[in-house]
Amino acid sequence: MSKYGFLKSWIGALVLLALLLTVSAVLAQDAPPEPPADPASEVTADQVNAVASQLYCPVCENITLDTCGVAACEDWRAEIRMYIGMGMTDEEIIDDFVVRFGDRVVGTPQNPALRALSLVTPWILVALALGFTVYTLIRWRSSRDELSSKPAAAVAGAAAAPPDDDYRSRLERDLARDTEDE
Amino acid sequence: MLAEIGLIATALSLIAALYAIGASIYGERRDLEGWVISGRNAALFTAALLLIATTALTIALMNQQYQIRYIWSVSSPNMTDLYRFTALWGSQAGSLLFWTFLMAAFAAGAILTNWRSNRQLMPYATAVMMSVTVFFIALVLFLENPFERYWIVGSEVVTSALIPAGAMAPDTSRLAETANGLNPLLHHFGMAIHPPTLYIGFVGFVIPFAFAVASLAVGDFTTSWIKASRRWTLVAWLFLSLGLLLGGRWAYDVLGWGGYWGWDPVENAALLPWLVGTALIHSSIIQEKRGMLKTWNLFLVVLTFSAVIFGTFATRSGLVDSVHSFARSGVGLPMFLFWFSLTLLSVGLILWRRGRGELRDEHRIRNYLSRESLFVLNNFVFLALFAAVFWGSFGAPIVSEMFMDTQITLGEEYFLRVTPPLFVALFLLMGIAPLSAWSATSARRLGRAVLVPLLMTAVFLLVFVLLGMSSIGALVGYGIVSLSGMVVLYETYRAAAARRRSAGENWLAAFANITRRNPRRYGGYLVHLGITVMGIGMLGSTIFQFETQRTMSVGETIQVQDYQLRYDALLEGQVALDGRLMDIAEVTVLRDGQELAHLRPRRDFFPETAGLNTMTISGSHSNMERDFYVLLVGWEDIAAQSATFKIFINPLVNWIWLGGLILVLGTFVSVWPRGGARVRQSTRVERAAVAPA
Repeated sequence: MSKYGFLKSWIGALVLLALLLTVSAVLAQDAPPEPPADPASEVTADQVNAVASQLYCPVCENITLDTCGVAACEDWRAEIRMYIGMGMTDEEIIDDFVVRFGDRVVGTPQNPALRALSLVTPWILVALALGFTVYTLIRWRSSRDELSSKPAAAVAGAAAAPPDDDYRSRLERDLARDTEDE
Repeated sequence: MLAEIGLIATALSLIAALYAIGASIYGERRDLEGWVISGRNAALFTAALLLIATTALTIALMNQQYQIRYIWSVSSPNMTDLYRFTALWGSQAGSLLFWTFLMAAFAAGAILTNWRSNRQLMPYATAVMMSVTVFFIALVLFLENPFERYWIVGSEVVTSALIPAGAMAPDTSRLAETANGLNPLLHHFGMAIHPPTLYIGFVGFVIPFAFAVASLAVGDFTTSWIKASRRWTLVAWLFLSLGLLLGGRWAYDVLGWGGYWGWDPVENAALLPWLVGTALIHSSIIQEKRGMLKTWNLFLVVLTFSAVIFGTFATRSGLVDSVHSFARSGVGLPMFLFWFSLTLLSVGLILWRRGRGELRDEHRIRNYLSRESLFVLNNFVFLALFAAVFWGSFGAPIVSEMFMDTQITLGEEYFLRVTPPLFVALFLLMGIAPLSAWSATSARRLGRAVLVPLLMTAVFLLVFVLLGMSSIGALVGYGIVSLSGMVVLYETYRAAAARRRSAGENWLAAFANITRRNPRRYGGYLVHLGITVMGIGMLGSTIFQFETQRTMSVGETIQVQDYQLRYDALLEGQVALDGRLMDIAEVTVLRDGQELAHLRPRRDFFPETAGLNTMTISGSHSNMERDFYVLLVGWEDIAAQSATFKIFINPLVNWIWLGGLILVLGTFVSVWPRGGARVRQSTRVERAAVAPA
């Protein structure tokens, strides 16, 4: 080897190192950034509970998901946390649970027919009852014929003059007299 | 020995009750007084025999006789005497026996107090009460026998009420080791009171039902049945109200969700008879005073008792899923058939009498604003609430499962959509109806009468505004609810003032005397006031409830509205006397830096109990303004450095319990008999005072 052979090999090594450093620096610039923190970790328990309180535990009995203590419900709450972290809306999360577990997991069914059946029926019942009540009152009012004309024996058991009326009229008289006195 | 005593007493009670039915009807139809009296005595004997059976089971529970299967399944050696006693109603068989005994005891009470005054109705009333009792005794004897024992026959363990051939008694110490223990949710003082009060409320309605059916049977269409059963109805209603309230308090303390009413199907099953029973209490007054609504009142009393039996069926059969359905068994089908046939027969009887024209009213409504008209509207609202709650709890889930093959749950969302308008109507009627007169009232007079209470309500709302409330919706709600309370206060004041002036008494004496003179009216007013106070509490705790969940490190303090909460320590694995393991968090509630309370929310674990074996007990700082309510949700096991808490601020929630107390007091006043000589004397004074000069 010539007396410069050693020097050449060193220069070659240094050039190679410089190339490597340059390449790695360039590569380092192009490398993806640090993965962001888990989005679910930014979600508060209150946000989770706000959705979970609108859902019923799919395995327990009439217990909302936010209060249910079984392990499966803890997993479902974690799932809700994840969904919120992914940016899903409350409605989307609820819909997802309904698709998976059916309409029994929500306080009012999502299925349009069942929803209508659930929410409209009581008002139909109320309207019918109101109609019956109004009809009864009108019918009574229109037949003013007091049955008190019947023999007294026929109305035995019913107070002919309500004691409360006596009481109220006496009270009114007392009040009127007191006012006059003043 | 105790099992034999209990079994024989129950079997004899079935025979006695059957005899009571037969003798009462036979004696009445053949006009044989001896048979009627014999039937009465058999009914009283039935109650005595069931008392013996219930006492035998209670003594066996206290003496830990684990050979009896029921006792093995609901108790364990570690339990305290209080819970050992309450285990009597801790599961299906024992609670059915207790229920049956209470019903027979109520029947005996009604027979003894009404025998002379309502002699004509008593044989049939006795037969009806004993018929219902017979059904429940049969359930106890043949389907849910609490006296069944474990036996060893050959190499097998069998259960039997009677001693099988060649059987040996098992080793009781081994049975004690494996005993199941009581459902953890029942380890609460409220459970010592809530079920018995609810049962009394339920069974008490058998009395008005029996008298109503008796009046239909004998053709007595006067107000006899109402007068005979009025106090019993009120007592049943009082206990049902108390049972509902205590159930709410138990849920608030034990179920760990920060509320007192979850619209759970079984809670609603107890609410249904309360709603119809309340309608009945109001409409029966119309029949007493005006001879009206005869058919309607009979229908209501049947519906009330039908709702009682349906509620019992729903609770005990697991008809609809519920946290209460721990007592499921094979009693569902017989109970359904009993409920169905009882309702059908009773309604059939009413329609038959009505078809014969025997239930004609003696007066007609003359004015739409009269008190009877407003009471009819009140009945409509109660029935509408009944329909809405029934539909949400049972109707819709059953219909959708049967006809659409889909399971659904109607929860709080449904009930808070449907019921508020009805409650608004109810409170408005509760405010206006007491101001209206019987028979006829003009709109002008009613308007004049309501003016002062309206002004009082406005002043009351002004206080809320000055305290910082700005929600228009809440103010309207408080206004509607408080109007009825203001009416009660003003009417009572007017009467006491009139009395004071006419009789020269001081305020206290005047209040006492008007109440003594008319306990029904002023007791009723107190009940209305109690419901107003409860309504204010329910509105406040529903609209303004605040809830948050936080994870805290030991020593950390967080801000929760006006309060601060500091997490001090966690005591893990504390062992209680009854064997439960408790994990207790120690927290301090502060306000403006001042310590208000040290709370110990905890999680209890019952290692001996299979299935549901944890309980979340809240810690709360209470005053009339609000509850600061903390639940321990979870914690890090390693050194317990952090724990998670659910924190609720429940405004005005304690008004609900206060209102409940006023309601109870008011019902006591209503039930209380009018004073004797003193009342007559005070009436003379009043007569003198109002006599024309």
